[in-house]
Amino acid sequence: MAHSDGGNQETDNALETAASAGSRAQPVSEHTMTDNVPGGPPGRRTVATRLSEFVGLNQDRDQRTWRGHVFDWLVKRRELGPLIGLLVAIIGFNALTPYFFSQTSLTAITTLAAPVCVVSIAVSFLLISGEFDLSVGTMYGFTPIVWIILFKYNGFDPGVALALALLISLGFGLLNGVAVVVFRVPSFIATLGTFFLLEGLDNLLIGGGDLVVENNVPLMSAMGERLGTTPFYAPILYALALIAITWFIFTRTTYGNWSSAAGVNGGVVAKSMGVPVARVKMINFMVTAVLSGFAGCLESSYLRSVTQNQGTDLALLAITAIIVGGTSIYGGSGSIIGAAIGALLVSVVEVGLILIGAPGTFYISFIGGMLVVVVIFNARLTRLQRLSRT
Amino acid sequence: MPIKESKPAVGSADTRLEPGAAVFELDNVYHRYGWNEVVFGVSLTVHSGEVVALVGDNGSGKSTLLKIMSGYHRPTKGRLRLLGKDVTFRSPAQARDAGIEAVYQDLAIIDDLSLWRNFFLGKERRRGFGGLGVLDVRGMRAECEIQLRALGLVSIRSGDQHAWVLSGGERQSVAIARAMYFGAKLLLLDEPTAALSIRETGLVLQGIDDAREKGLGVLYIDHNIGHVLPVADRILLLEHGRIARTIMRGDISEDELKEMIAKTPLRRK
Repeated sequence: MAHSDGGNQETDNALETAASAGSRAQPVSEHTMTDNVPGGPPGRRTVATRLSEFVGLNQDRDQRTWRGHVFDWLVKRRELGPLIGLLVAIIGFNALTPYFFSQTSLTAITTLAAPVCVVSIAVSFLLISGEFDLSVGTMYGFTPIVWIILFKYNGFDPGVALALALLISLGFGLLNGVAVVVFRVPSFIATLGTFFLLEGLDNLLIGGGDLVVENNVPLMSAMGERLGTTPFYAPILYALALIAITWFIFTRTTYGNWSSAAGVNGGVVAKSMGVPVARVKMINFMVTAVLSGFAGCLESSYLRSVTQNQGTDLALLAITAIIVGGTSIYGGSGSIIGAAIGALLVSVVEVGLILIGAPGTFYISFIGGMLVVVVIFNARLTRLQRLSRT
Repeated sequence: MPIKESKPAVGSADTRLEPGAAVFELDNVYHRYGWNEVVFGVSLTVHSGEVVALVGDNGSGKSTLLKIMSGYHRPTKGRLRLLGKDVTFRSPAQARDAGIEAVYQDLAIIDDLSLWRNFFLGKERRRGFGGLGVLDVRGMRAECEIQLRALGLVSIRSGDQHAWVLSGGERQSVAIARAMYFGAKLLLLDEPTAALSIRETGLVLQGIDDAREKGLGVLYIDHNIGHVLPVADRILLLEHGRIARTIMRGDISEDELKEMIAKTPLRRK
């Protein structure tokens, strides 16, 4: 309990919000962090109070300007941290290279971001409900391999083949779910098992080679072709649609509510309140598997091929995007939009680094460093937000 | 603090029961975890408008009994009766639907969820759209704010605030109010006053009194005998999974009861 019932008189509220909201503008400054006195001593005009005056936060709620409302809304968002990170990255790279907003780089960023985004969203749901899936990376490679083999060599209609491939990934999701929910295997271990299982199946199916689709497959075009003359490709559309749908499910449906509740204290509270915790987790495992398989199919449609390496880094990259996006690794709380922003940030960094001349494979080191920095930053930001939200 | 009589959100029956009628009965209930037997043939009855306290040392089976009543565990043997009818609960959800609400020590409220999401967890109000489970966000938020204000929590500005704004005692009071709101017939409380200040304890005990006055049956576990004596109509002393004594209100002093619990003989092998 960070806070109990002190200092909550109605009269102090506007001032208190103003002070803590203002101090949030400089989250890295140790001075404003510890400076908890509402507004500081009278007569001292800190950057914090000046900023809160500018946006009009020291007004009463109904007298606030639109600036105040926007600011107030923004600072309470969990997505504020990743959004700041994204802006910093975009502004930084734009200053360092003239090519950042070029057609090619926009294509690169969005096509990299789309599949990471889909997988991140899937894993977010699972993570919020208190479980984790290591096998999403291999699922991301395995599903398109099955799909392409089915329609290329076995004469299935591509649509039917896709349905079958996704059904198979659903089966593996079910396997994960049963191991975790019924047999109480920690999800880390259960999905590590699936990870190896799928890797072995990949070896059996294409043995280190790759599959290329030469002829025109309409379904693949619909899933991966360029959108008119824009620099964007179809996968980003699917990603955006998925963001909208999952955001709605997460914030506006019973199921989203239950997912969050299931992630706290191993779901004990939720269970005692009548939430079917086991079922929620089981469904989340299956959805995660299907979505990561589908993301792999999007990527393969864009590339018109699949290699066995597809998705090797993906599980950890998705986790990075999710954590950067403000979802708690301990479950119980998180943000779909944040995960999407995190996925975009990861891709911006990857492309940006290449544009400024870093070796193409180096970016992963940078991502690692960024992850830790952003988590520290996010933790401080959340602390400030908690203070103001009380 | 009168709680506004509002329509129960779910189709539960009238909470008003005949005073003195048996709300819930355990009939010769046994329970074991694996080979470890913890409850041996306990029979007890909770009446409408009555507060029954379960006291006993750690491991005497208090919490297990409570979890059996709340649908969290199923008894190995024995019968449960709600309003005279035999019932079996496969899950806490079923028990809640039947009108049994449990409030656990520190597990009543989820910090990371907003107040209204907590208040309606597991009993969410939904809007049409063909059973998709779309939440009636505005309705629930407004109702939650009304209920919290009725509890006297004026410092709450919005149902959207996260539950971490509540102090320990407020959490328990909210959980108790929530139970009554959903039309509970039987209220189960597992150490609701653990780690609370004197003022907060008062708040919780007040909530228990309110529940009794509204005709609920209350079963109450507490380690603090000083909290049990003033509110309990009947005290059941549990020893090694059996009811060792039944004590009526006023029959015993605090010191006597403490001594009785402390003197519980050690378990024989």
